[in-house]
Parts: sequence; C-alpha cells; structure tokens
Amino acid sequence: MAIDWLPSVLIVTLLILAVIGGVRRANLWRAGQPEKVDIVAGLLALPKRYLQDLHHVVARDKYMSQSHVATAGGFVLSMILVLLVHVFGVSNRLLAGALLVALGLMFVGALFIAKRRLQPPSRLSKGPWMRLPKSLLTFAVTFFVLTLPMAGVLPEGTGNWLLTMILSAGIIISLSELLFGMTWGGPMKHAFAGALHLAFHRRPERFGGGRSTGLKPAALGGEVHGVAKPSDFKWNQLLGFDACVQCGKCEAMCPAFAAGQPLNPKKLIQDMVVGLAGGTDANYAGSPYPAGKGEARALGSAKGGADNVITAGLVDADTLWSCTTCRACVEECPMMIEHVDAIVDMRRFVTMEKGQTPNKGAQVLENIIATDNPNGYAPGSRTHWAADQNLPLMKDKQQVDVLFWVSDGAFDMRSQRILRAFVTLMKAAKVDVAILGDEERDCGDVARRLGDDASFQSLAKRNLATLSQYKFNKIVTTDPHAYHCLRNEYSDLDVNGVLSQGASGQAVEVLHHTTFLNHLVEQGLLNFERFSDTRMTYHDPCYLGRYNGEYEAPRELLRSLGINITEMARSGYRSRCCGGGGGAPITDIPGERRIADMRMADVTETGAELVAVGCQQCTAMLEGVVEPRPVVKDIAEILVGQLIEEVH
Amino acid sequence: MPLNIVSLVSVGRHPQSGRSRRAEQDGRAVEMGLKLAGQQLSVVHVGNPDEPVLRQYAGMGLSSLTVLKQADRFDAVPVLQRYLEQKNIDIVLTGVRSESGESSGMVPYLLAHALGWPVVARVADIVCVEKGEAQVLLALPRGQRRAVRVALPFIASLDLAAPPARQSAFGVGLRAKIETIESIGEVDQIRVDWQEAEAKPRAKRLKTVKAKTAAERFKAATAKPQGDAGKVLINETTQQKAQAIFDLLLEEKVIR
Amino acid sequence: MNDFSSVAVSPVGVVRRDPRKEWMARNRLHPRHHEVISEGVGGEMGANGLMRRNPRQIGFIGPNGIKRIDRLKGNAVQTPNKRQSVVPEVVLPWHVVATADFYIFVVPDMVGGRLSGHDKDILGLAHRLQKEIAGQGAVVAVCFGEVKETQFELAGVDRLVHFAGAEFEGFAAEAKAAALAAMDERWAPKHWLFPDSIHGGTDLGSRLAAELGERPATQAWQVDLEKTVARGAGGSLDISRATPRILFLLEECAYPIDETRHQVLSLEMPEVQRPAPRLLDQGLVAVDPNEIPLAEAEFILSAGNGIHNWAQFHQTAKALGATEGASRVAVDDGFMPRSRQVGASGTWVTARVYIAVGISGAIQHLQGIAQCDKIIAINTDAGCDMVKRANLAVIDDSDAILSALMMLANEKLVEPGAVQGNTNKEDSDAA
Repeated sequence: MAIDWLPSVLIVTLLILAVIGGVRRANLWRAGQPEKVDIVAGLLALPKRYLQDLHHVVARDKYMSQSHVATAGGFVLSMILVLLVHVFGVSNRLLAGALLVALGLMFVGALFIAKRRLQPPSRLSKGPWMRLPKSLLTFAVTFFVLTLPMAGVLPEGTGNWLLTMILSAGIIISLSELLFGMTWGGPMKHAFAGALHLAFHRRPERFGGGRSTGLKPAALGGEVHGVAKPSDFKWNQLLGFDACVQCGKCEAMCPAFAAGQPLNPKKLIQDMVVGLAGGTDANYAGSPYPAGKGEARALGSAKGGADNVITAGLVDADTLWSCTTCRACVEECPMMIEHVDAIVDMRRFVTMEKGQTPNKGAQVLENIIATDNPNGYAPGSRTHWAADQNLPLMKDKQQVDVLFWVSDGAFDMRSQRILRAFVTLMKAAKVDVAILGDEERDCGDVARRLGDDASFQSLAKRNLATLSQYKFNKIVTTDPHAYHCLRNEYSDLDVNGVLSQGASGQAVEVLHHTTFLNHLVEQGLLNFERFSDTRMTYHDPCYLGRYNGEYEAPRELLRSLGINITEMARSGYRSRCCGGGGGAPITDIPGERRIADMRMADVTETGAELVAVGCQQCTAMLEGVVEPRPVVKDIAEILVGQLIEEVH
Repeated sequence: MPLNIVSLVSVGRHPQSGRSRRAEQDGRAVEMGLKLAGQQLSVVHVGNPDEPVLRQYAGMGLSSLTVLKQADRFDAVPVLQRYLEQKNIDIVLTGVRSESGESSGMVPYLLAHALGWPVVARVADIVCVEKGEAQVLLALPRGQRRAVRVALPFIASLDLAAPPARQSAFGVGLRAKIETIESIGEVDQIRVDWQEAEAKPRAKRLKTVKAKTAAERFKAATAKPQGDAGKVLINETTQQKAQAIFDLLLEEKVIR
Repeated sequence: MNDFSSVAVSPVGVVRRDPRKEWMARNRLHPRHHEVISEGVGGEMGANGLMRRNPRQIGFIGPNGIKRIDRLKGNAVQTPNKRQSVVPEVVLPWHVVATADFYIFVVPDMVGGRLSGHDKDILGLAHRLQKEIAGQGAVVAVCFGEVKETQFELAGVDRLVHFAGAEFEGFAAEAKAAALAAMDERWAPKHWLFPDSIHGGTDLGSRLAAELGERPATQAWQVDLEKTVARGAGGSLDISRATPRILFLLEECAYPIDETRHQVLSLEMPEVQRPAPRLLDQGLVAVDPNEIPLAEAEFILSAGNGIHNWAQFHQTAKALGATEGASRVAVDDGFMPRSRQVGASGTWVTARVYIAVGISGAIQHLQGIAQCDKIIAINTDAGCDMVKRANLAVIDDSDAILSALMMLANEKLVEPGAVQGNTNKEDSDAA
C-alpha cells in the first residue's frame, strides 16, 4: 500500500468514534430507572450466555445460525487480529495468516447472508439491513487484500495509488458500518447492545435452562404507575430494546399480527428504540402494524422522545391491548428481549393512570374490585357448582394433601364440566383433597394483564392470607392462568412464606391438573379403557407450555389412553395462542380475523376430530369457533370418559 | 363563564357482594359534572373522609374532593344545605337513590326545597346549558326520553340511563387531595328508633282462586298448569309460522 | 207448611212470612221453585231452638215430575244445552261511605290514563289501613290530566279527585305537587300513599313530602297502622319503623280490592295557587329502538350465524319496532357492533320478548337471555339448544319467516284504523 499509516489511522479514528458513540448510547439507556444488576457477574457470564443460551434459540434456524457463527465469529476474530496486525503493527506471518483465514470464514458466512437477502422473507427488515451483507463482504475483501502482503503472499508495498484509494474507501465503508454504526444506531448496534443486554438481562434466571415468566410487581404509590415515558422503563429494559436485530421472528409467531390486529412485536420494539433515542419511525423498514379495522398510520408519523408519553404519539393504545401475552415472541426472540413485560408495563400506565382500559376492561376491573371475580357474580355463589360433589372445605378440614384451586371457572357453566370431571378423577384415585370454597378469590391474572397491578396485588395478598390459615402440600388447579400466578407471581408478594412452607415443611408444590393426573397414572391409581380410534390433536395452552414448560404431562396422559397424537404444525413451544390470554377477549381489539379461528384451522389441518386442551379459557375460545369444527375437550373430560371405576 | 357544578357522592354497595363501591348513579353524577364543567367540578361527600371508596370517585380524574365530615347517624341534608348556600352554584348533581343507608331518594328534594330551587329527577342527559337555562333529557321507562327546560340553578338526580361513569384510575385516585371540612352535625332523630335487618326475600304473589265452594277449589287445585314446554312449529306453512310469531308479539303487546 | 225458609224469626221475635217465597214453593213451574224447596234441606230450627232435620224433605220434584236430589247445592256443571247458559254477571255489593270521618289519599300513576296493577295494590292497602282506623274513612284517588280508566268503582275508589286541564298534561310534576299540597291543606288526610315507581309516583311523592316537611317511608312493602317495613340500602335492608303519614309503596304491598264496589264520588277541590312552572316540558323525544341500550330494551330481535340477508334483518327489526341484538359470532364476523352482543360475554338482557333468528344457542348466549319472559326461536335446526329453550320455535329458513313477519307488520301499519277500532272495542268490553 502506498501510504502505510493510512489504514491504521482510519481504523483508530473509527474506533474512537465508535467508543464515543458507545458512551452516548449508554447514556440513553441510563435515562431509564435504576435496577440492581450484578455488572461483573453479568459480564463474566456473557460468553456462556451468548454461546449457549442465545445460540440455543438461534440454532432453531440452522441456515441462519451457521451463517451467523461464520460471519460473527469471523468478524470478531478478524477485528482482534486487524487491531494487532494493522494498528499495533505486530508483524507475524502466523498472525496475518490467521487473519486471512478468519476473513475467509467471515466472507463465506457473509455470502450466505447476502444470498438470503436476495429474496428476503417478509418478516425481515429491509433498508440499512440490505446493506449489511455488502458491508461485511467489503470488510472481508478489503482487509484480505490489505493483509496479503503481511502474510507474505504478496510482496510488501504492492499496489498503486488507485488500489490505495480503493482499499481506503473499503476500510471507511466497512468500518463505518461495523464499528461506527455499531454504536451510532446502524444495524450492527445489535451486536453491541445485544452483548450488553445478555450481560445485564433483567431476568438472569432465564439463562442456563431456567425459566422466568412471572411479571414483576408494579411499585404502587408513586407519582406514576406503570410506564408512561420511555424513561420510566428500567435501564436494562431500554438496553434490551436496543438489542433487537429486526429478524422478525416475533412477528412471524405473533397471533395478533397474524389476525391483522394492530400489533407487530418487532415494530413495537423499534418504536421503543425511537422513544429512547428520540425522533420518528421514518427509517423503520419492516412490516408495519396491521391496520386492524382502522386506518394504518403512515411511517414517520410516530414521534417519540425519552420524556414523551408513549401512548401520546408513539404507539397507539390499541397496539398494546392487542397482545394476548402468549409469550410466543419472547420464546422466539434470539436477543432474549422481553416484549410482554414492556407491553404490560405500558398497559399499567393506561389502566392505572389514564383509566382507559378499552371495551369491557373497565367493567371487568370494577367487578374484580367489588366481587373478586371478573364477571361480578355473588362471591357467595362460588361453590354452587360443587353442591353435588361432596367436596370438603378447607375451613372444615384444616389440613389436606391437595388443595384444589377451583378458579373462576366455578362460575362458568362450561368450565364446571371440566371441574366436575377432574373431581371425579381425584375421587377415583382417592386423593385427600379439599377446596377453599367461598374463601377463594380470583387469582388476579386478568387484573394484572389488564394493567391493574393494584388489584392483582390486593387479590394476591388476600389469597395468600387465606392460604396461610391452612396446611397442605400441593395446590392443583385446572386453570393454567391461576397455576402461573400461584406458581410464579405470588412469590413476589408472599412475605410470610406461605407457599414456601407447606404442611410437610417443604415448599408447596403448585401443579396443573394434567401434571397431577399424570403422577396419579404413573402411580397406578387410575385405570383407563383405551380410547377409540379418534384422530386427536393437542393444543398447548400458552400459560401451561411457554410459561411453565409443561409440554409432556398432557401428552403422556393422552398416550396412556393409547392415543396417538397428531401434532399440529405449531405445537409445543411454538404453539399458537387461542386468543384468550392477557385479557384480549375483554379488550377485544378488532382485526381482520379471529385468533381462535386461525387456531381451529391449525387443528382442522391435522384432520383431527377431537382437540384436547388443558385450559378452560382455551376451551371457551376454541368452542367459540362456528361449527362444523372438531370437538373440543379438556383432558380431564377425555380421561373421565375412559375411567374404569373400581366396584366395591 | 364556566359553570359552577357540584356532584354529591355517597358510598355505594355492590348488589352481589355487598361490598362498598362507587355508587352507580353517583358515578354518573360525577361523569355528568365532568362533562359540563371539566376540572372545575367540585365533588362533595358527607361522612367519613377516610372512606376508601372516595378514591374510586377521585380516580375519575378529580384532583381533589371535599368531605363534610360527620358521623353516619347524622342527617346529611342540613350540612349540605349550609355548604351549598355559601357557594354560588349553578347545578347540583346527585344520584336518584343511594345504595346504602335509608335509600329514600329524598336528599335532592329536601335540598331543593331548602334552597328554593327546582329539582329534576331521573335525568338521562343534560344536553346543554345556555343563557342560564339547561336543556335536560329525562329517562322514562324502557328507554323513552322526555325533554325539559329548566332555569339555573337547579338540582338534578341522575338516572341509570345517563352516560356511565368513566373508569376510575388507581393512581389518580391515590393522589387526589381530600379536603375535610368539619361540620356540626344534627343527629337524625327519627332514625334512632328504626330497626334494621337484612332484607327478607319477598314471596311472589300466588294466583289465588276465589273459590266459594269445595267444587271450585277442587277444580282450581287440579287444573293443568299451563305452558310447560315450548311450542315447535315445523310442518306449517311459512305464512302460518309467521302468523304464530306475530300473534305472540301482539299478545305480549310489544307491537302496538 | 213450615218446610222452607219463607218464615223467619226476626231478632225481636216477630214471625215474618215471605209471601213471594211461599208462592214460588207452590208453583212447580217457577224457575226458582227447586231453589226455594231445597233451601230447608239443611234442617230447620225446632221449637226448642235445636236444628231439626226432616229426612223426608230431601230433594225436589223436577220439571218432568221426577224427584231430584241436588247434592251439589247448585254447583252442578251446567249442561250447555240448558237455556240459561249465560253466567249471570256477578254484582258486587256496594261499599258505601256516606260521610267520611277521615281520608286516605292515593295518588296512582295512571300509566296511559289507566290504573296499573301497582295502583290497584295501593288502593287495596289504603282500604286495609282505613279499616284499622276507628271511624269510617274514605279512600281518595287523585288523578291528573287525561283519564281513561272506567273501573274506578271496582278498584276501591270511594272518592275521586281529578285535576284536569292543560297544566297537568305531560310532565307537570311541579303543578301536580302544588295541587297535592293544596289538597293536603284542605282535607288533611290521614295518609298519603304513592306507588314507588319510575312512572312518576316517587317523584311526585318526594316533592310533596319535601313541601310538607314530612319524612316518608320509601320502598315500603309491609304496612299496617303501627309499623312499616321498608327496603333500604339499595334493597338489601329491611327497615322497620313507625308508619309515617306519607308512604311510597312497592308493588304487591297488598291485595287489590275485588269484593266490593265503591262510589267514586267527587271531592271538593280547593283553589290551587300555581307558581310559574320552573320545569318546562318540551315533550317526548322520539327514540330509535336501536338507541335503547340492550339491557333496557323490552323487545329484541337478535341475529346469529343463520342470517344471510342482513339488510332484510335490519328492515324487519325496523318494521317490528324491535331493538336489534346479535350473537357473538355475528359480532365477530363484523355484521353487528360489539355493543349489540347478547350473552354472558356481551349484555345480559331483560326483554319481555326475545326473538332469536338463526342463533343455535351457545351456553353463554342462553345465560345472557335467562331473564327474558318469552323467547321465540327461528332456526333451521330443530334440535338446537335455542329451540329447546324457546317458548315458540319455528323451524324454517330465516329469510322466508322474516319477510313474512315484515309483511304482517307492514299490513298492520297500513290499517291503523282497524287496530284502533280493536282497542276501542276492548275498552267498551271492559266497560
């Protein structure tokens, strides 16, 4: 190269600019609320989190994961070697050779990425992201050529002014994207913010195979409840938004997006980025929010700033209320962004500060406050369904093995069939069981997802106070929503350790009825006839599967009846929501289709005549689909039909 | 000139749970007040300033709320009268009947009589206030409405047909200021001797047969009860089926 | 012959004969002959004051000369071929109040100019109170404006005060209250009874109570002279208290009058001082049935998945004057707004008549219409749950039935005279 010092000066200049950008960006995050994070431990855990947890998610897409490993791995290695070779001037042929290999690896990876960009799927963002593979290739080629002389492949000083110009341009182009752009808001921001997000994640329990799905309690009594402005988020939530790679995996999985409701998780996160950095969404190059039944908003019309109220101009409230909190986006996100937390945080502001829960939301919340159940039934009629069930009350028994948490299904005639079926099964297995009866209250799931954390916390505290009077080892419920609240969300409010100390001294086991029944079957306490050859599929409830990782027990139960389950294309952790979660049927944001109809289409596609479910909400939603359609039954109902009762 | 409007609120009672709540009609009185006066609205309660239900009213967007403090057994009307006389008020809004206490619905009338104002009962909407006169819609049974004009100042009691109260926002209610005014109460003397008990369910009136003789009584006792199962028309002509429906509608007098 | 009761012993011991009865007993062809003959069957008073029975005196000789024994005492089923098949009109005895010692005033709602069931209950109660008070009282009904009622005498109205005139027509609560206050001053009634109703009774009563400075008992349902039990706290409490002078009464607080006729005399009306009305009636506002909230509507035409011709459905609802409702599916499919959804997840309705067109009856929907009086189902599926629930079910295509219904409704509109005539006839029948 004609001027030897030029590349190193360029590299150092861009590096310095990148550092400046990094500090500026970090200051944007620091506008958020304080949150205690173990910085050192987080940074130390970063490599493992990246290589293991994040890769585990990315590896679901083999093509992309391998391309990414080659490209990113090649780039990180190359960059280190570039610094050594070209900036610090370590002249070592071996080092230079290694750099060439790394660049080659990166080049191959970038080629595959470029290939995918030839015909990108709709979920991918375009715009600057179309440029990225070219920048990567430019980097690889430029430094490859630049390194050739040092590796001794070409003699030193090869090249003329023209080549120097071209290579300098290459350095500027590629490093502007890859270093400068990383901290100044280019596509490569994902690497910078993403790495830090992994290190300082708000839910570190998620790494290492853990699960952390319970919503964090809202602080009550301050100047503002919930998130009004981007600066009301915790700082590491803001950091998390910045980590988004706009891969659109969330968009592809989101049931509300598919139904044409005005929600696109990717756009939402990008709007949060607009909010934290200020400006408009004019540069967003992905799919917009579906229009729903209103008018689609033109790009650029959404304006935000760290101290501007989000729902006043940046995001429409309807977008927030479209979410079913099914967590499909979170499950799918390779950057481990917590969309649902953010949505519920913003809902809290709309409900607790604005009082604008849409449609029947306000009424439902008022009912919950006045009667402890969402439909305003007399609290004294909670046990009417069990009039003929001969179920003992905790009040009379004081101590039992199993406490059956009935949930608000007690008021609904359809859900009562599930409850009765489950009681029959428990009686057949001679389980030592009791219910709370009229002392039970709504678990608070709906109130919390509708953003009224005050009511949730009040219900949780009162429920815990009731539970603290009695002794039991297990809580079993047929409602996955109650199951989730009791298992994952009550612990934040359980100051007296009611659930961490059961009758036997060990922590109270909270179980879904399918898990519990599966234990009973394994112990040989229940015997069933084989099920006739009906083609059957199983719908994973979000709050059982994604929220609590229970995919197997329901399937094992069905298999124990000799049923061969025909799985739907979307099952297990990719199960599509029924549309009934997160208060979505209450807020009822119009779309082009109904989520339940789409889910039923998934069922019909398998040719199943019967769909097994493990949730009363799913049952209600799927049965709401116009007939003819496959029959919907809770697993307890299917089991009770095959039960062989011992005759004495 | 902005209107000077006062909404009177009381502690409600949920019919199913019996728990205290924002009273349905009083909530509508606040809603109507907010519609007419916006933030200028003053909301007044007589009773205990620490009552948590007041926060539910305040959550509708009130920055403050006035409580004329006095014990339950005291009569609310004299206190309110003295309070309202001091202010230069255009409209006082109340519910038709409270959900707790005596539920007599007399408060608006007594206040109106004491202040010498007209009272409009069962208001569905106050359409507009112009030139010292309000255009009011009264709620009649089964969704019917009557328009009435009334000069300011007046007292209006809000019917359930009025626009429902907006959602109460927890945070706003929590931060609202509750201004307490100590008041000299008068013990409600008449009420002292009353006995209160949980409402007994009222037996439905049976169809009594005025039978003078054993034979008539026998006939009445053994008569086949009518209308157990519904009638199903399948094979009749369309015209006959439609006629059957139409006849039932006429019989029920829903078509006039 | 002393075998029938034509001879009676009067309280002062004078034997009185009834020549008319004796003549009837002699004349076998007299239509009431057997009645008179068999009157003594129960026995007669002997000389020593004991009841005596003449065993030979059973029965009577029928028109064809055969002896008849009527053990049914005249209650035998009337054979239709008998001449006198017309049931003789029951003529109730008069309840006469010649001079009243006191008055009880009742202010009936007079919905549509007639006494409602509620009004009649209260008149019944007024008479019960009147009986408990020493002396003879008169029950006075105070009516305003146009009155169409023709049966005041059977409802227990001893005295009637009728304030007619334009100032009492329409909404005239203030004028009415002033009139009542004037009546109070003139007649000082023992009690004022009002129906506690949304038809104006409560409003009027409250105005009078405020004017007179009396504390009324409201939502009263158990009343005697001493004690009144009234509902309080939103209907959740029973308040027992001394019976005040002014009472607002709930429905079925007493049985209506049905055994006496009353005089319906008019009562002197004092000159009423009328201040300038402060509430100016602007008249009734035309309300579109579809503006009525579903929960309040009394007649709902509800559409479900079985509707294909929505334009026709809307037209039919308009022709029938029904409020429109919808099932969840119809709302989800975007044919009807969410506010029109009936059912557990929509609105719980209380209509008197509910027509479900093409709604199969999901459990949530049936829960929502549980309080409706009459349910009519129009459906193609005879086995669906809605048909099982319905009081009248029609199995047919909804399009055909709706268009036939629309025709019937329009026909009725075209000949309002006939309809009017019909109701008039009913009126005269009732009279």
